[in-house]
Amino acid sequence: MNEQTYESARTSVDRRKRFRNYIKLYVLLIRTSIRSRMQYRFNFAFGTVLAAIIQLSEFLMVAIVLAKFGAVRGWTMYEVGYLFAVMTLAKTVYRTFGNEVHNLERYLVEGELDQLLTKPLPVLLSLMPRGFRLMPGELLQAGAILTWAIGAMLRSGQISWWAIPQTLFAALTGGILLFAIGMATATCGFWTTRISMLQNMTEDAAQTAARYPLTLYPGWMSALMLTAIPVGLVSYVPALYILRGELGAWVFPLLAVASAAAVLLALAFWRFGISKYQSTGS
Amino acid sequence: MISFRSNTRLYSALAAKAYARNIQYRGSHLLHNFASAAFGYLYACIWIGLGRDHSLGEYGTHGMMQYITFTQTSLWVASFTTVGLGIPQSVRTGQIALDLMRPVHLFAHLAAKEWGQIAYQFLYKSIPIYLVMLLALGLTPVDGGRTLPIALLALAGSAYMGICIGYMIGVSALWTTESSWLHWGNQALMNLLAGFFIPLQWLPGWLQQIAWASPYPFMLYAPTQFYLGKGNPLALLGTLAWCVALTILCLLLTRVMRRKVEVQGG
Repeated sequence: MNEQTYESARTSVDRRKRFRNYIKLYVLLIRTSIRSRMQYRFNFAFGTVLAAIIQLSEFLMVAIVLAKFGAVRGWTMYEVGYLFAVMTLAKTVYRTFGNEVHNLERYLVEGELDQLLTKPLPVLLSLMPRGFRLMPGELLQAGAILTWAIGAMLRSGQISWWAIPQTLFAALTGGILLFAIGMATATCGFWTTRISMLQNMTEDAAQTAARYPLTLYPGWMSALMLTAIPVGLVSYVPALYILRGELGAWVFPLLAVASAAAVLLALAFWRFGISKYQSTGS
Repeated sequence: MISFRSNTRLYSALAAKAYARNIQYRGSHLLHNFASAAFGYLYACIWIGLGRDHSLGEYGTHGMMQYITFTQTSLWVASFTTVGLGIPQSVRTGQIALDLMRPVHLFAHLAAKEWGQIAYQFLYKSIPIYLVMLLALGLTPVDGGRTLPIALLALAGSAYMGICIGYMIGVSALWTTESSWLHWGNQALMNLLAGFFIPLQWLPGWLQQIAWASPYPFMLYAPTQFYLGKGNPLALLGTLAWCVALTILCLLLTRVMRRKVEVQGG
C-alpha cells in the first residue's frame, strides 16, 4: 500500500468514526431533550391534548366537506381521508426531528444562532435535538384515520395488504421531503432574518392544499406543488398508485430519489446560506 | 379602587402607541399580506373545484368565493391578535408583577394596546387582503359595498371578543408554560366553529349546537352573513351579549390572577 492510498483509507476511517460519534451525540442530545421536557409532565400532557384537538378540528374541516358533498373530483371520502392521514404522518416525522429548523427565525432574531456557531459541532446537529418533539397526539390521530380509510378500502377490495408498507414508505419519504422544504425555507432566513411569511406559503398553505386531490386546483398551482414546492409527492402521487393503480410501481423509486435529492439540495443551500450569515446582535 | 373612566386619555394613548409601533413595519407587513391572500385564494380554489361537481347550496360558487374573501379578510381583526395579549412574555420575564401594580386595570390596559394593534391590522392587512382577493377572484363588493357598514359593526364586536379570549389565554400562562397551545387551539376553533371555511349551516347538527353555545359564530360567521346580505340584525344582540359575558369573565380572572401571581428571583 503506497502512502497516498494509506492516507485516503485513513481519512475514510476517520470520517466514518466521526459520523458514528455524531450519531451517538445526536441520540444523547435527543434523550436529554426528552428528559428536560418530561420535568414538566403536566405541560407535556396539556400540549399533547391540545395538539390532538387542533388536529381533530383540522380533520373535521375536511371530513365535513366530504360528508356534505360525498366525493371531491372523483375521490371518495376514504381516499381523501387517506391523503389527509399520510400528510399528517409525514408532517409528524418532519416536526418530530426538524421542529427547530422550522423555528429558526427565533434563533436569528434573538441572536441565539451565534451561540450554536461557537460549538464544535455542525449547526444542524446542535439545533435539531433541541426541539425534538414527541407528538403522540398527531401520531394517534393520523394512525386512526389511516386505519379507518385503509380498512374500508381493504374490505371493498380496492387495495391489498401491500398498501400498508407502501403507505409507510410514502409517509417516511414525505417526511424527508417536508423537512427539505422546511430547511430550504429556513435557509432564506440567513438573508432575510424573518421567514414566517415564506413559511406560510411553502409550508402551511402548501401542506393544507395537498390534503385534497391536486386536480381540484388550477393547472399552474398543481404544477407548482409537484415541482418547486413538491408537497404533491407526499400524499397525492403515492395515492395515485397505491389507491387507484394509476402511474406505476416506479413511483416508489421516484419518491426515494426525489426525497434524497431534495434533502441534499436543501443541505447544500443551508451550507451556502450559513456561510453568508451575519448576526443581528451587537 | 382602579377607575376605568378617569384613564380614557391613557387608553387612547396606549392604542395610538401600539398603532404607531406597528406602522414602522408596514412595508414588511404589506408583503406578508400576499401570504395571507395566497391562503385565502387556496381556500377559494377548493370551493371553486367543488363547485364544478356540486351546486354549493344557497351560496353557489360565486357566493362561496365572496364568503371566503370576507372571512380571510376578517381573520386579521377577529382572530390574529397578539398571543395572550403579551401576558405569557410578561410572566416569563416577571414584568407581570409590575403590570399588576400599575394604577390602571390590567385588562383595560392590555385591551387598549390591542385596539391599536387591531386598528393597524385592519388598515394595513385586512383592507389590502380584501382588495387583492377581490382582484384575484374577479369579484366586486357584495351589493356595491352597501352591506359593509353593518358587517364592520359586527366585526368590531368580533375584535373585542378576540381581545377578551386573547386575555384569558394570556392569563393561563400563570399556570402553564404551554399557553401558546391554547392560542393555536383557539385558532383551530375559529376555523371550525366560527365558520371560517365552511358555513355553519353545513356543519353536522351536534357540531352546530356546540358552535352556537360558544362566542365563535358571532366572530366570523355573523359578520360574513351581514356582508353577504343574509344577516339578521338580531345577531348583533348575540354579539353584544357575548361581549358583556366575556368582559365579566376577564375581570373575574384578573382577580384570581392577582392572588396567584408569584415573583421569583431578586
